[in-house]
Amino acid sequence: MAVATRGTSSNYLQRAPSPSGLADVLDVILDKGLVIDAFVRVSIIGIEVLTIDARIVIASVDTYLRFAEAVNRLDLMQTETAGIQELRDGGSSGKRKAEGALEGAKDKMPGMGSSEKESSR
Amino acid sequence: MPAAATSTGVYVYGIVRAEELPAVSAEGVAAARVELIERDGLAAVVSRLPEGELRVKRRDLNRHLQVLEEAFAETTIVPCPFGTVLQSEQDVESALLAARHDELTATLKRLDGNVQLNVNAVYEEEQLLRELVAGNSEITGLRDASNQLGDAGYYARLRLGELVATLVDERRQADAERILSQLLDVAENVVTDEPGEDGVLKASFLVSRKRVDRFDARLEETARMEHPLIRIEVIGPLPPTAFAGALTER
Repeated sequence: MAVATRGTSSNYLQRAPSPSGLADVLDVILDKGLVIDAFVRVSIIGIEVLTIDARIVIASVDTYLRFAEAVNRLDLMQTETAGIQELRDGGSSGKRKAEGALEGAKDKMPGMGSSEKESSR
Repeated sequence: MPAAATSTGVYVYGIVRAEELPAVSAEGVAAARVELIERDGLAAVVSRLPEGELRVKRRDLNRHLQVLEEAFAETTIVPCPFGTVLQSEQDVESALLAARHDELTATLKRLDGNVQLNVNAVYEEEQLLRELVAGNSEITGLRDASNQLGDAGYYARLRLGELVATLVDERRQADAERILSQLLDVAENVVTDEPGEDGVLKASFLVSRKRVDRFDARLEETARMEHPLIRIEVIGPLPPTAFAGALTER
Protein backbone atom coordinates (compact mmCIF):
# COMPACT_ATOMS: atom_id res chain seq x y z
CA MET A 1 0.00 0.00 0.00
CA ALA A 2 3.06 2.23 0.01
CA VAL A 3 2.13 3.85 -3.27
CA ALA A 4 -1.36 4.81 -2.19
CA THR A 5 -0.51 6.43 1.10
CA ARG A 6 2.35 8.48 -0.23
CA GLY A 7 2.42 11.46 -2.54
CA THR A 8 -0.72 13.20 -1.38
CA SER A 9 0.85 16.45 -2.55
CA SER A 10 0.20 15.49 -6.15
CA ASN A 11 -2.78 16.50 -8.24
CA TYR A 12 -1.72 14.80 -11.43
CA LEU A 13 -1.26 11.09 -10.82
CA GLN A 14 -4.26 9.16 -9.52
CA ARG A 15 -3.28 6.35 -7.19
CA ALA A 16 -5.30 3.37 -6.02
CA PRO A 17 -3.88 0.58 -3.84
CA SER A 18 -6.23 -2.01 -5.28
CA PRO A 19 -8.58 -2.25 -8.28
CA SER A 20 -12.16 -1.31 -7.45
CA GLY A 21 -14.15 -1.15 -10.69
CA LEU A 22 -15.07 -4.37 -12.47
CA ALA A 23 -12.95 -3.56 -15.51
CA ASP A 24 -9.86 -2.99 -13.34
CA VAL A 25 -10.42 -6.23 -11.41
CA LEU A 26 -10.76 -8.16 -14.67
CA ASP A 27 -7.57 -6.55 -15.96
CA VAL A 28 -5.67 -8.05 -13.05
CA ILE A 29 -7.08 -11.57 -12.76
CA LEU A 30 -8.61 -12.60 -16.09
CA ASP A 31 -6.26 -14.52 -18.39
CA LYS A 32 -3.33 -13.36 -16.28
CA GLY A 33 -1.15 -15.81 -14.43
CA LEU A 34 0.30 -19.28 -14.56
CA VAL A 35 -0.83 -21.13 -17.67
CA ILE A 36 -2.07 -24.63 -16.87
CA ASP A 37 -2.67 -27.24 -19.58
CA ALA A 38 -6.33 -27.65 -20.48
CA PHE A 39 -6.27 -31.40 -19.94
CA VAL A 40 -5.61 -31.07 -16.20
CA ARG A 41 -8.05 -28.20 -15.79
CA VAL A 42 -11.75 -28.44 -15.11
CA SER A 43 -13.92 -25.74 -16.62
CA ILE A 44 -16.47 -23.99 -14.49
CA ILE A 45 -19.68 -22.44 -15.71
CA GLY A 46 -19.56 -18.80 -16.60
CA ILE A 47 -15.86 -18.38 -17.27
CA GLU A 48 -16.10 -18.50 -21.05
CA VAL A 49 -19.00 -16.05 -21.12
CA LEU A 50 -17.09 -13.77 -18.78
CA THR A 51 -13.97 -13.88 -20.93
CA ILE A 52 -15.74 -13.17 -24.18
CA ASP A 53 -17.88 -10.34 -22.84
CA ALA A 54 -15.01 -8.73 -21.01
CA ARG A 55 -13.14 -8.40 -24.27
CA ILE A 56 -16.17 -6.92 -25.95
CA VAL A 57 -15.29 -4.87 -28.98
CA ILE A 58 -17.38 -1.83 -29.68
CA ALA A 59 -18.33 -1.66 -33.35
CA SER A 60 -16.28 0.86 -35.32
CA VAL A 61 -19.34 2.57 -36.74
CA ASP A 62 -20.51 3.43 -33.25
CA THR A 63 -17.11 4.86 -32.46
CA TYR A 64 -17.06 6.95 -35.62
CA LEU A 65 -20.50 8.40 -35.01
CA ARG A 66 -19.62 9.14 -31.42
CA PHE A 67 -16.47 11.00 -32.49
CA ALA A 68 -18.42 12.93 -35.10
CA GLU A 69 -21.04 13.87 -32.56
CA ALA A 70 -18.38 14.96 -30.10
CA VAL A 71 -16.65 17.14 -32.68
CA ASN A 72 -19.93 18.77 -33.61
CA ARG A 73 -20.79 19.37 -29.98
CA LEU A 74 -17.38 20.91 -29.48
CA ASP A 75 -18.08 23.35 -32.30
CA LEU A 76 -21.54 24.18 -31.07
CA MET A 77 -20.25 25.04 -27.66
CA GLN A 78 -17.50 27.23 -29.01
CA THR A 79 -19.91 29.28 -31.10
CA GLU A 80 -22.18 29.69 -28.13
CA THR A 81 -19.13 31.01 -26.25
CA ALA A 82 -19.86 28.72 -23.39
CA GLY A 83 -17.89 29.15 -20.22
CA ILE A 84 -15.11 26.72 -19.59
CA GLN A 85 -17.00 25.08 -16.75
CA GLU A 86 -19.94 24.44 -19.04
CA LEU A 87 -17.65 22.83 -21.58
CA ARG A 88 -16.19 20.63 -18.94
CA ASP A 89 -19.61 19.56 -17.70
CA GLY A 90 -20.83 18.72 -21.18
CA GLY A 91 -17.76 16.69 -22.01
CA SER A 92 -17.59 14.70 -18.85
CA SER A 93 -21.26 13.89 -18.63
CA GLY A 94 -21.18 12.38 -22.11
CA LYS A 95 -18.17 10.35 -21.16
CA ARG A 96 -19.74 9.23 -17.91
CA LYS A 97 -22.71 8.02 -19.86
CA ALA A 98 -20.50 5.93 -22.12
CA GLU A 99 -18.59 4.47 -19.21
CA GLY A 100 -21.81 3.69 -17.42
CA ALA A 101 -23.12 1.81 -20.40
CA LEU A 102 -19.96 -0.26 -20.61
CA GLU A 103 -19.95 -1.04 -16.91
CA GLY A 104 -23.61 -1.95 -17.20
CA ALA A 105 -22.89 -4.38 -19.99
CA LYS A 106 -20.10 -5.97 -18.03
CA ASP A 107 -22.10 -6.17 -14.84
CA LYS A 108 -24.55 -8.42 -16.54
CA MET A 109 -22.04 -11.05 -17.51
CA PRO A 110 -21.01 -12.99 -14.44
CA GLY A 111 -23.19 -16.05 -14.27
CA MET A 112 -24.85 -15.11 -17.51
CA GLY A 113 -25.49 -17.97 -19.88
CA SER A 114 -25.20 -20.63 -17.24
CA SER A 115 -28.34 -22.57 -16.80
CA GLU A 116 -30.17 -22.24 -13.53
CA LYS A 117 -29.99 -25.63 -11.92
CA GLU A 118 -33.33 -27.04 -10.94
CA SER A 119 -33.40 -28.54 -7.53
CA SER A 120 -34.88 -31.99 -7.68
CA ARG A 121 -35.32 -32.15 -3.96
CA MET B 1 -17.27 -37.07 -15.00
CA PRO B 2 -15.10 -39.51 -13.04
CA ALA B 3 -14.19 -36.90 -10.48
CA ALA B 4 -13.03 -37.51 -6.94
CA ALA B 5 -15.88 -38.83 -4.89
CA THR B 6 -16.07 -36.02 -2.38
CA SER B 7 -15.54 -32.90 -4.44
CA THR B 8 -16.11 -31.47 -7.91
CA GLY B 9 -12.84 -29.71 -8.06
CA VAL B 10 -10.03 -27.79 -6.40
CA TYR B 11 -9.84 -24.09 -7.16
CA VAL B 12 -6.23 -22.89 -7.34
CA TYR B 13 -5.27 -19.25 -6.57
CA GLY B 14 -1.53 -19.52 -6.84
CA ILE B 15 1.71 -21.17 -5.76
CA VAL B 16 3.99 -20.14 -2.90
CA ARG B 17 7.00 -21.70 -1.17
CA ALA B 18 5.84 -24.06 1.55
CA GLU B 19 6.28 -22.69 5.08
CA GLU B 20 6.29 -19.09 3.89
CA LEU B 21 2.52 -18.72 4.14
CA PRO B 22 0.99 -20.01 7.39
CA ALA B 23 -2.65 -19.53 6.40
CA VAL B 24 -5.04 -17.33 4.44
CA SER B 25 -8.02 -15.90 6.29
CA ALA B 26 -9.81 -14.34 3.31
CA GLU B 27 -12.86 -16.17 2.06
CA GLY B 28 -12.38 -18.15 -1.15
CA VAL B 29 -14.50 -18.56 -4.28
CA ALA B 30 -18.04 -19.73 -3.42
CA ALA B 31 -17.34 -18.72 0.21
CA ALA B 32 -15.08 -21.73 0.77
CA ARG B 33 -12.24 -21.85 3.27
CA VAL B 34 -8.79 -21.31 1.76
CA GLU B 35 -6.26 -24.09 2.34
CA LEU B 36 -2.76 -25.06 1.34
CA ILE B 37 -1.65 -28.22 -0.44
CA GLU B 38 2.08 -28.87 0.02
CA ARG B 39 4.51 -30.94 -1.97
CA ASP B 40 8.30 -30.84 -2.35
CA GLY B 41 8.78 -27.42 -0.77
CA LEU B 42 5.97 -25.76 -2.72
CA ALA B 43 2.41 -25.04 -1.65
CA ALA B 44 -0.69 -24.43 -3.74
CA VAL B 45 -3.19 -21.94 -2.32
CA VAL B 46 -6.55 -23.61 -2.94
CA SER B 47 -10.17 -23.98 -1.88
CA ARG B 48 -12.73 -26.73 -2.53
CA LEU B 49 -15.55 -26.08 -4.91
CA PRO B 50 -19.02 -27.08 -3.76
CA GLU B 51 -20.59 -30.12 -5.35
CA GLY B 52 -22.71 -29.49 -8.38
CA GLU B 53 -22.65 -26.60 -10.76
CA LEU B 54 -20.77 -23.48 -9.82
CA ARG B 55 -22.05 -20.22 -11.18
CA VAL B 56 -19.44 -17.53 -11.23
CA LYS B 57 -20.49 -14.36 -9.47
CA ARG B 58 -19.01 -10.91 -9.42
CA ARG B 59 -18.20 -11.46 -5.76
CA ASP B 60 -16.02 -14.42 -6.72
CA LEU B 61 -13.79 -12.16 -8.79
CA ASN B 62 -13.14 -10.04 -5.71
CA ARG B 63 -12.57 -13.12 -3.55
CA HIS B 64 -9.95 -14.45 -5.97
CA LEU B 65 -8.16 -11.11 -5.89
CA GLN B 66 -8.37 -10.81 -2.11
CA VAL B 67 -6.85 -14.25 -1.58
CA LEU B 68 -3.98 -13.33 -3.91
CA GLU B 69 -3.49 -9.99 -2.15
CA GLU B 70 -3.43 -11.55 1.31
CA ALA B 71 -0.90 -14.21 0.25
CA PHE B 72 1.17 -11.61 -1.58
CA ALA B 73 1.33 -9.45 1.57
CA GLU B 74 3.12 -12.40 3.25
CA THR B 75 5.33 -13.83 0.57
CA THR B 76 6.10 -14.25 -3.13
CA ILE B 77 3.28 -15.86 -5.09
CA VAL B 78 2.92 -17.20 -8.62
CA PRO B 79 -0.71 -16.24 -9.31
CA CYS B 80 -3.11 -18.38 -11.34
CA PRO B 81 -5.72 -16.81 -13.62
CA PHE B 82 -9.28 -16.51 -12.35
CA GLY B 83 -11.15 -19.78 -12.83
CA THR B 84 -8.24 -22.21 -12.50
CA VAL B 85 -9.74 -25.48 -11.28
CA LEU B 86 -8.11 -28.91 -11.12
CA GLN B 87 -9.88 -32.22 -10.74
CA SER B 88 -8.52 -33.28 -7.38
CA GLU B 89 -6.00 -32.70 -4.64
CA GLN B 90 -3.88 -35.44 -6.23
CA ASP B 91 -3.81 -33.52 -9.50
CA VAL B 92 -2.67 -30.37 -7.73
CA GLU B 93 0.18 -32.33 -6.17
CA SER B 94 1.26 -34.37 -9.16
CA ALA B 95 0.29 -32.41 -12.30
CA LEU B 96 1.14 -29.03 -10.83
CA LEU B 97 3.48 -28.97 -7.82
CA ALA B 98 5.57 -32.04 -8.72
CA ALA B 99 5.45 -31.96 -12.52
CA ARG B 100 6.30 -28.27 -12.72
CA HIS B 101 8.47 -28.00 -9.63
CA ASP B 102 11.59 -26.59 -11.28
CA GLU B 103 9.71 -24.10 -13.42
CA LEU B 104 7.65 -22.88 -10.45
CA THR B 105 10.75 -22.55 -8.27
CA ALA B 106 12.45 -20.49 -10.99
CA THR B 107 9.37 -18.28 -11.43
CA LEU B 108 9.13 -17.67 -7.67
CA LYS B 109 12.76 -16.63 -7.68
CA ARG B 110 12.22 -14.31 -10.61
CA LEU B 111 9.25 -12.66 -8.91
CA ASP B 112 10.97 -12.32 -5.50
CA GLY B 113 11.05 -8.73 -4.29
CA ASN B 114 8.91 -7.45 -7.14
CA VAL B 115 5.43 -5.95 -7.29
CA GLN B 116 3.11 -5.23 -10.17
CA LEU B 117 1.86 -1.72 -10.91
CA ASN B 118 -0.93 -1.30 -13.44
CA VAL B 119 -0.76 1.97 -15.31
CA ASN B 120 -3.73 3.28 -17.22
CA ALA B 121 -3.38 6.43 -19.30
CA VAL B 122 -6.52 7.87 -20.90
CA TYR B 123 -7.27 10.91 -22.98
CA GLU B 124 -9.41 13.76 -21.78
CA GLU B 125 -11.54 13.37 -24.85
CA GLU B 126 -12.61 16.96 -25.30
CA GLN B 127 -9.06 18.22 -25.01
CA LEU B 128 -7.90 15.63 -27.52
CA LEU B 129 -10.61 16.49 -30.06
CA ARG B 130 -9.87 20.19 -29.71
CA GLU B 131 -6.23 19.57 -30.57
CA LEU B 132 -7.08 17.34 -33.52
CA VAL B 133 -9.73 19.66 -34.94
CA ALA B 134 -7.65 22.80 -34.62
CA GLY B 135 -6.23 23.70 -38.02
CA ASN B 136 -7.49 20.61 -39.83
CA SER B 137 -9.47 21.90 -42.80
CA GLU B 138 -10.70 18.46 -43.84
CA ILE B 139 -12.36 17.99 -40.47
CA THR B 140 -13.84 21.47 -40.54
CA GLY B 141 -15.25 20.86 -44.05
CA LEU B 142 -16.83 17.53 -43.13
CA ARG B 143 -18.23 18.98 -39.95
CA ASP B 144 -19.89 21.85 -41.82
CA ALA B 145 -21.27 19.44 -44.41
CA SER B 146 -22.70 17.11 -41.81
CA ASN B 147 -24.22 20.05 -39.93
CA GLN B 148 -25.89 21.50 -43.03
CA LEU B 149 -27.30 18.14 -44.07
CA GLY B 150 -28.78 17.50 -40.66
CA ASP B 151 -30.32 14.05 -40.42
CA ALA B 152 -29.44 13.40 -44.06
CA GLY B 153 -25.78 13.85 -43.23
CA TYR B 154 -25.29 10.34 -41.90
CA TYR B 155 -22.48 9.47 -44.32
CA ALA B 156 -20.79 12.80 -43.85
CA ARG B 157 -20.89 12.19 -40.12
CA LEU B 158 -19.53 8.69 -40.58
CA ARG B 159 -16.64 10.02 -42.71
CA LEU B 160 -15.95 12.74 -40.19
CA GLY B 161 -15.90 10.23 -37.37
CA GLU B 162 -13.67 7.85 -39.30
CA LEU B 163 -11.20 10.63 -40.02
CA VAL B 164 -11.11 11.62 -36.36
CA ALA B 165 -10.69 7.97 -35.30
CA THR B 166 -7.70 7.62 -37.65
CA LEU B 167 -6.11 10.74 -36.23
CA VAL B 168 -6.72 9.48 -32.68
CA ASP B 169 -5.02 6.16 -33.51
CA GLU B 170 -1.94 7.91 -34.92
CA ARG B 171 -1.80 10.16 -31.94
CA ARG B 172 -2.23 7.24 -29.54
CA GLN B 173 0.75 5.34 -30.89
CA ALA B 174 3.07 8.29 -30.44
CA ASP B 175 1.73 9.17 -26.99
CA ALA B 176 1.87 5.58 -25.71
CA GLU B 177 5.44 5.14 -26.91
CA ARG B 178 6.51 8.36 -25.21
CA ILE B 179 4.93 7.46 -21.85
CA LEU B 180 6.34 3.93 -21.99
CA SER B 181 9.84 5.20 -22.75
CA GLN B 182 9.84 7.31 -19.60
CA LEU B 183 9.07 4.34 -17.37
CA LEU B 184 11.03 1.43 -18.82
CA ASP B 185 14.30 2.13 -17.06
CA VAL B 186 12.69 2.17 -13.60
CA ALA B 187 10.86 -1.12 -14.15
CA GLU B 188 12.06 -4.72 -14.42
CA ASN B 189 9.59 -5.63 -17.11
CA VAL B 190 6.39 -4.52 -18.80
CA VAL B 191 3.37 -6.15 -20.42
CA THR B 192 0.96 -4.00 -22.42
CA ASP B 193 -2.76 -4.57 -22.90
CA GLU B 194 -5.16 -3.22 -25.50
CA PRO B 195 -6.08 0.30 -24.34
CA GLY B 196 -9.79 1.09 -24.27
CA GLU B 197 -11.58 3.53 -26.55
CA ASP B 198 -10.34 6.65 -24.79
CA GLY B 199 -7.19 4.88 -23.75
CA VAL B 200 -3.62 5.84 -24.56
CA LEU B 201 -1.72 3.12 -22.75
CA LYS B 202 -2.68 0.24 -20.53
CA ALA B 203 0.32 -1.58 -19.11
CA SER B 204 1.43 -3.73 -16.19
CA PHE B 205 4.91 -2.98 -14.89
CA LEU B 206 6.97 -5.36 -12.80
CA VAL B 207 8.81 -3.12 -10.33
CA SER B 208 11.35 -3.98 -7.66
CA ARG B 209 10.09 -3.07 -4.18
CA LYS B 210 13.26 -1.05 -3.77
CA ARG B 211 12.39 1.05 -6.80
CA VAL B 212 8.66 1.55 -6.22
CA ASP B 213 9.35 5.09 -4.94
CA ARG B 214 11.41 5.94 -7.99
CA PHE B 215 8.82 4.49 -10.31
CA ASP B 216 6.12 6.48 -8.54
CA ALA B 217 8.11 9.71 -8.78
CA ARG B 218 8.78 9.14 -12.48
CA LEU B 219 5.13 8.41 -13.13
CA GLU B 220 4.09 11.50 -11.20
CA GLU B 221 6.44 13.57 -13.34
CA THR B 222 5.04 11.95 -16.48
CA ALA B 223 1.46 12.64 -15.38
CA ARG B 224 2.37 16.28 -14.75
CA MET B 225 3.91 16.63 -18.22
CA GLU B 226 1.02 14.92 -19.99
CA HIS B 227 -1.62 16.99 -18.19
CA PRO B 228 -4.19 18.15 -19.29
CA LEU B 229 -4.44 16.02 -22.46
CA ILE B 230 -3.78 12.69 -20.74
CA ARG B 231 -4.88 11.48 -17.33
CA ILE B 232 -2.75 8.77 -15.70
CA GLU B 233 -3.86 6.34 -13.03
CA VAL B 234 -1.77 3.72 -11.22
CA ILE B 235 -3.15 0.71 -9.35
CA GLY B 236 -1.02 -1.27 -6.94
CA PRO B 237 1.19 -2.67 -5.60
CA LEU B 238 -0.49 -5.82 -6.92
CA PRO B 239 0.51 -9.48 -6.97
CA PRO B 240 2.44 -9.98 -10.24
CA THR B 241 -0.39 -11.62 -12.20
CA ALA B 242 0.82 -10.40 -15.60
CA PHE B 243 4.30 -11.84 -15.08
CA ALA B 244 3.59 -15.38 -13.92
CA GLY B 245 3.43 -16.92 -17.37
CA ALA B 246 6.07 -17.31 -20.03
CA LEU B 247 7.95 -14.05 -20.27
CA THR B 248 9.26 -11.99 -23.09
CA GLU B 249 12.14 -9.97 -21.77
CA ARG B 250 12.30 -6.33 -22.71
